Amino acid sequence: MLFQLSEQIVNGLVTGSVYAIVAVGMTMIFGVLRAINFAHGEYYMLGTFGAWVAIEYFDLPYPLSVAIGVIATALIAMVVGQLVMRRMVGMPAEAGVLATLGLALILQNTVILVFGGGYKFFNGGYIEPVTVFGISLAEQRLLIIVICALVFVGLELMVTHSRIGKAMRAVSQNIECCAVVGIEVRKVVVATFVLGAALAALSGVLTAPVNVSVYGGMGELITFKTLPIIIMGGLGNVRGTFFAAMILGIAESLVATYVGLQFRDTVGFATLMLVLMWRPHGLFSAQARY
Amino acid sequence: MSLQETSLPAPGRDLRLPFGLALAALAASAPLLLGSYALHAVIISLIFLLPAHGLNLLVGYTGLLSLAQAAFFGVGAYVSALMAVHWGTPFYLNLPAAGLVAGALALPLAIPALRLRATSFVMCTLGFVIIGQAIAKNWISVTRGDMGLSAIPKPHFAIGPASFTVNGTTEFYYLALAVAALATAIVWMIVTSPAGRNMVAIRENETLAESVGIPTWHYKLLVFMVSAAFAGVGGSVYAHYLTVVSPLTFQMSYSTLMLIIVLGGGPGTISGVILGSLLFVGLSEALRIAPELRMIAYGFCLLALVFWFPKGFTPLIERFWTAIGGRS
Repeated sequence: MLFQLSEQIVNGLVTGSVYAIVAVGMTMIFGVLRAINFAHGEYYMLGTFGAWVAIEYFDLPYPLSVAIGVIATALIAMVVGQLVMRRMVGMPAEAGVLATLGLALILQNTVILVFGGGYKFFNGGYIEPVTVFGISLAEQRLLIIVICALVFVGLELMVTHSRIGKAMRAVSQNIECCAVVGIEVRKVVVATFVLGAALAALSGVLTAPVNVSVYGGMGELITFKTLPIIIMGGLGNVRGTFFAAMILGIAESLVATYVGLQFRDTVGFATLMLVLMWRPHGLFSAQARY
Repeated sequence: MSLQETSLPAPGRDLRLPFGLALAALAASAPLLLGSYALHAVIISLIFLLPAHGLNLLVGYTGLLSLAQAAFFGVGAYVSALMAVHWGTPFYLNLPAAGLVAGALALPLAIPALRLRATSFVMCTLGFVIIGQAIAKNWISVTRGDMGLSAIPKPHFAIGPASFTVNGTTEFYYLALAVAALATAIVWMIVTSPAGRNMVAIRENETLAESVGIPTWHYKLLVFMVSAAFAGVGGSVYAHYLTVVSPLTFQMSYSTLMLIIVLGGGPGTISGVILGSLLFVGLSEALRIAPELRMIAYGFCLLALVFWFPKGFTPLIERFWTAIGGRS
C-alpha cells in the first residue's frame, strides 16, 4: 500500500518534471509579453517530431536526435518570434489569444499535412528499468527528473548572472522603464520566446520514449495541462511554476490510480478552480518574478 | 455619433430602411440562391450566432474575456436532448428550458469566477468547458458517455389539429433564421437600453463606473448569466438540428470559435458579430474539402486579423457604408 503510494509519487514527479519544463517557458513568455501562449504545446510537438524525423529518416542515435529536435524547434521559434511575437509587445490580451491560437492552428496542421495525422511509433530513448531506493522505473524517467533539475538550476543561474537573463527579469517587471534605460525590449521578447519554445521541445523529446506514440495533435493536450500550472504558479513566477507543476504531476498520478484514469486530464483545471476560490492570485505570488 | 447628428446636418441619406429590406429579402430567399450544402453552412453559422451574441455582450460591451461559452452551449444541447429523449417534450419548450438552465447554472459559476482578474478569469472560464466535457463523458447513467445521445427529434409544432415537423434543410433554415433574428432583436434592445450604456461604462472604466453608482458586480453577474442563456439556446437549436449530442459539444475549439466570431467581426457591434459568424463559421464550413489546408488558412486569417484589422471587420463595413452615402 505504502509502496504503491511512493511509486505513484515518483511517477507524479516524472510527470511534474515534464510539465515543469514546458510550463517554465510559457510562464517566462507571459512574464515579458503579458500574453497567454495558446501555441506553447505545439513547440513540444515540434520538438518530438524533429527527433522522430531524425531517428526514422536518418537513422540517428537518440541523443543526437534530441539535439536536432530542440535546435529545429528553436529555429522555427526564431522565425515565429521575429514575424509574430515581437509585434505583440503592448497589444491587448485579446490580440494575444487570437494570434497564438492562429499560430497553433498553423503549426499543428502543417505537421499533419506533411507527416499525416496518424499515430507514429517513437523508436528511441532508454527504456531499461533501473531500481532506485527500491522503486524500479525506466531509465528515461530518471533522466527526465535529472534534466528538469538541471534546467531549473541553469535558469536560476541565467536570470541572476547573465546579461540577457537580467534583461528578461527587467522586462517582465516593467516594459516602459526598460525601454527608457535602453534595453531592447523586442530582442529580449524574442530571446525569451525562443528559449521557452526550445525548453518545450526538450520536454517533448524527453517524454517521447515514455509516451511511445507521436502525433500531430499532441501539443493541444500539453497546452491545456500547462495553462493551469502557470496560473497556479503565479504568472511569470519561475519557482512557483516548478512547485505547481510538481503538485499537479503528483495529483494527476494519484487521481489516475485511486479515482480513475478517465479523470486524469481534468485534475489540472479542477485543482486550479479550487485554488483560485481561496487564493484568487494563484498559490504563488505573481509579483515575485523569478 | 449621436452628438454629431444633433450639431451638424447629416451628410448622407438615411439608407437604413432600404438596406435592411434588401438584407431581409436576401435572407428570405437564401434557400433559392444556395445549394443544400451552402445552406447547411449558413444554418450552422446562424446557430453559432446565438452564443456569439451572448459573448459579444460579455466581451464587446462589458469587457470580460470569457472562454466559457462552449460549456453553456453544451449544457443547452444536453438539457434539450435529455428533455426531448426522456420526456418527449417539444422543441418550443426545450429551447427556453435550455436557455434558463444554462443561465441559472451560470450564477454559481460566475460568483467565484468574476472575483478573478484578467488571465485568471479567462483560465477559470476555460476550466468550465474542460470540466463540462469530463462530466458529459463520465456521468454515463445520464449522458451515456462517449456514445452521446442520439435520435433527438426534429422540431415539431402542433397547434390543435394542425401539426408541422421541421424536417428539411430549407425548413430548418427558416427556423434558425427566426431564432437568430429574435436573438438579434433582444441583443439590440439590451445594448440600446440604459443597461447597455452602463455595461459600456464598466468596459471603459470599472472603477469610475462604480463611483458613479453603477452596481458593477451585479451587472457583471447578470451579463454573464444572459450570455450563458444565449449559449444555451444556441446549444438547443444545435442539438435539434444535428439530432445527436456528444461530449464533443463541450469543446474548447467551440469557445475559441465564438471568440473569433466576436473579435473578428467587431466586438461591441451587432452587425459585426453577424458578419463574423457568416464569415468564420459559414465560410469555413463551406471550405471543408481540404481540412488541414483549411485550418492553416484559418490560422493565417487570425494573424491577419490581429495585425491588420485589430478592430475586426466592422471598420470595413463602415467604410462601405459611407462609400455608398449612408449615415450611421
